[in-house]
Amino acid sequence: MPGIDECLLDAMRLPGALGAALVDWTSGLALGTVGEAPGGDHETTAAEAAELARLAAEHRAFAAGDGEAGGPPDPPVEDVIVSNRDSYHLLRFVPASFDHTVFLHLWLARTDGNLALARIRLGEMAARLVLG
Amino acid sequence: MTVVTTPPPPRLPVRRKARQDARGALSPMLTRLADEGATGVLVRERGTLHLVEGRVVDAESPYAPGIDVLLTAGGALNAAAWQEAYAATGGPAGAARRLVDSGRLSAGALELCHLGALFDAAYFALAPSSTPGRFRYGTTAPPAVPRGMPVAVVERETLRRRALLHGVWPHAAVDDAPLVRTGAPAGPALPPRRRAVLDRVDGSRTAPAIARELGRRAFATLLDVRRLAAAGLVAPAPADPADPKAPPRSGATDPYVALLKRVRDALEAL
Repeated sequence: MPGIDECLLDAMRLPGALGAALVDWTSGLALGTVGEAPGGDHETTAAEAAELARLAAEHRAFAAGDGEAGGPPDPPVEDVIVSNRDSYHLLRFVPASFDHTVFLHLWLARTDGNLALARIRLGEMAARLVLG
Repeated sequence: MTVVTTPPPPRLPVRRKARQDARGALSPMLTRLADEGATGVLVRERGTLHLVEGRVVDAESPYAPGIDVLLTAGGALNAAAWQEAYAATGGPAGAARRLVDSGRLSAGALELCHLGALFDAAYFALAPSSTPGRFRYGTTAPPAVPRGMPVAVVERETLRRRALLHGVWPHAAVDDAPLVRTGAPAGPALPPRRRAVLDRVDGSRTAPAIARELGRRAFATLLDVRRLAAAGLVAPAPADPADPKAPPRSGATDPYVALLKRVRDALEAL
């Protein structure tokens, strides 16, 4: 069964992957990191990515529509995508069955990265991490 | 007319940020134990840290819910399954490993929960204390997850968390005191997680009690409470001077006590 490190190593096998981290979005703590980080510091990157993820998760504007029974889904957002001239950042929220507020952060090179593929695969990895 | 120019005032001394020399800033004893690669249990006023060869493998604090509360309250496990595994193995770590081996809990979920609980409890265990810590050498019970964290990482994260709380709302009184609602109307924009915390503020519960009730990590709840305080929605309950159960005022202002504390800190740093 996969643990945090196996999950991150899996993410690094995606084409164009530069770095990956598992980050808690309430505190900004990096629970695991692999590869490079933008700017060279995984801890700073984690804290900044967590701030972005928290805004997406907490603001009602980004939540899915109502109408489901049993309260709002947790987390309300699936992923956050940021693109710049040379890379993509993909933040994928890990589904919560107990109190954790973590997301996978994948940094992809724009030249060889495939954003659509990475989004699907990262979603599968996030689910596998907590559901086994 | 002559213009008298005065030299600009000298720059005020700037205290070095704790972050820059984080090593040893929280507990000199812990730094020393990490350097010598000690194995054992460090008992401090607000929690304990379990060390194996100088790395933090587990932490507990009465202020932070353990993995049993986190896993069962959120619905990842039912309480009966936990009780059964606990009875069979005699400890939370053994119980967690048994549940993973039997396939009722995924290894990834346990690792997430364990690390979340470790940093959560370490935050409280490394809080400033009024009594010295004690260290008991010797092997500890094997932790639920063998992955240990370097002491430096735990210390750095604890300092970062303090700064994070301070940045949200600089008054620590809401962390321990019973909380009351101020009566200000909460806007509809309150995120669901924070609303759940606000709903449990009743004048007697403290932030750690709310965390335990919701099955959430205590630090995340402290952050929610400080954000609610910053929004003017909650406040610490005013102390009732007639209440004999109320804890006595801290002696921190007594000069003799302050002196003794400084002596103690210096001795601990030796």
